[in-house]
Amino acid sequence: METPDQDLTDFTKCLAIMLEEIKAKKLQIDSIVTLGGLGGRFDQTMATVETLFHAQKMTDLPVVVIQDSSLAFLLKEGRHHQLNVNTGMEGKWCSLVPVGSPCLTTTSGLKWNLDNQVLAFGQLVSTSNTYEDHDPKDCRKPVTITTDNPLLWSMGIKRLQSSQTFL
Amino acid sequence: MDEFTPLDCLLPSGKQRICLVILNQPLDERYFHVLWSKAQIRACADGGANHLYRLTEGRRESFLPDYINGDFDSILPEVKAFYAGKNCKLMETPDQDLTDFTKCLAIMLEEIKAKKLQIDSIVTLGGLGGRFDQTMATEETLFHAQKMTDLPVVVIQDSSLAFLLKEGRHHQLNVNTGMEGKWCSLVPVGSPCLTTTSGLKWNLDNQVLAFGQLVSTSNTYEDHDPKDCRKPVTITTDNPLLWSMGLKRLQSSQTFL
Repeated sequence: METPDQDLTDFTKCLAIMLEEIKAKKLQIDSIVTLGGLGGRFDQTMATVETLFHAQKMTDLPVVVIQDSSLAFLLKEGRHHQLNVNTGMEGKWCSLVPVGSPCLTTTSGLKWNLDNQVLAFGQLVSTSNTYEDHDPKDCRKPVTITTDNPLLWSMGIKRLQSSQTFL
Repeated sequence: MDEFTPLDCLLPSGKQRICLVILNQPLDERYFHVLWSKAQIRACADGGANHLYRLTEGRRESFLPDYINGDFDSILPEVKAFYAGKNCKLMETPDQDLTDFTKCLAIMLEEIKAKKLQIDSIVTLGGLGGRFDQTMATEETLFHAQKMTDLPVVVIQDSSLAFLLKEGRHHQLNVNTGMEGKWCSLVPVGSPCLTTTSGLKWNLDNQVLAFGQLVSTSNTYEDHDPKDCRKPVTITTDNPLLWSMGLKRLQSSQTFL
């Protein structure tokens, strides 16, 4: 499907078609997963983040982007987010980055939480964060986040051994 | 007016006097040699030393960094021991709130001052790939760098270069070195930017760049008569604005030694 619109990226246009297909086929879908988008040409990494902003206006479905051992996901403003991070696939690091504008942020479940603090480039950006310690007998608590502007969550994915692909 | 030639540092004949920072990402051999030979101070941030060690196997004594800083959670013990044994300065910088890159820059600026060097820019290898939060942390360091120094700080990895344009200045970027790739981009990373440009294929005329509204990626340079030089790109912005551009891919035979 040729989508020559100069103002929108191929990714954005792909998502638009995906949403139409979901509707046409009357599917119950919980999220859209994207492979690629976080490496290579640097402007394309930025374009991926821009697509995540557009996606929020196009759908309520979460759109996640995965490349190498990183996942990125844009948190909507004005919502109370609860991220369950207990699948066993989570890597060590996580991060909250106020791409686009400062974000008044409160979190729980992180090693370095934010308590109604402003995340903003040049002031405070949360990278190399991690999860709160927990008793090995218990599950890891969810991470909760509220923000007043779209806030980019990213996290590491545990590296699988080649023998560990699931078939 | 702030005039700057981002890719001058990659030209053997380039005039810029530079310092070099190596971050914890695979080192591109094509750029490494020309930058190392020109740099007046060379430093590694933590695991950047691992990549230097690996790349310079067989002639490591000829490529000793002036210092290596970091919390040393990435540098391999054998690498640390090797450079310590060669009297490279190892500076442990455990501050949790600042990245190894930011701390490396801070030390670099002190060294430049202590040695009374005339420096035109600080060039960084790595920082734009790998762990996604580290790419974001690189951008944050560029914001901090603007408060630390007036020197341009550029970041190069694979075939991309990134450089943060200060607000309130009239920027002129000379893009005529012959090393420029096809694409360029302007991204309002931290806040919306009221922007005006010239010299681009798709210019901005007092328009707001903002995530969710308009972000300039896959832009390119204005067409020009092959007989003439490419015109400079000019940019004004009311908030820090991230410029990035593609580098022409060198053939392996084209490294400059």
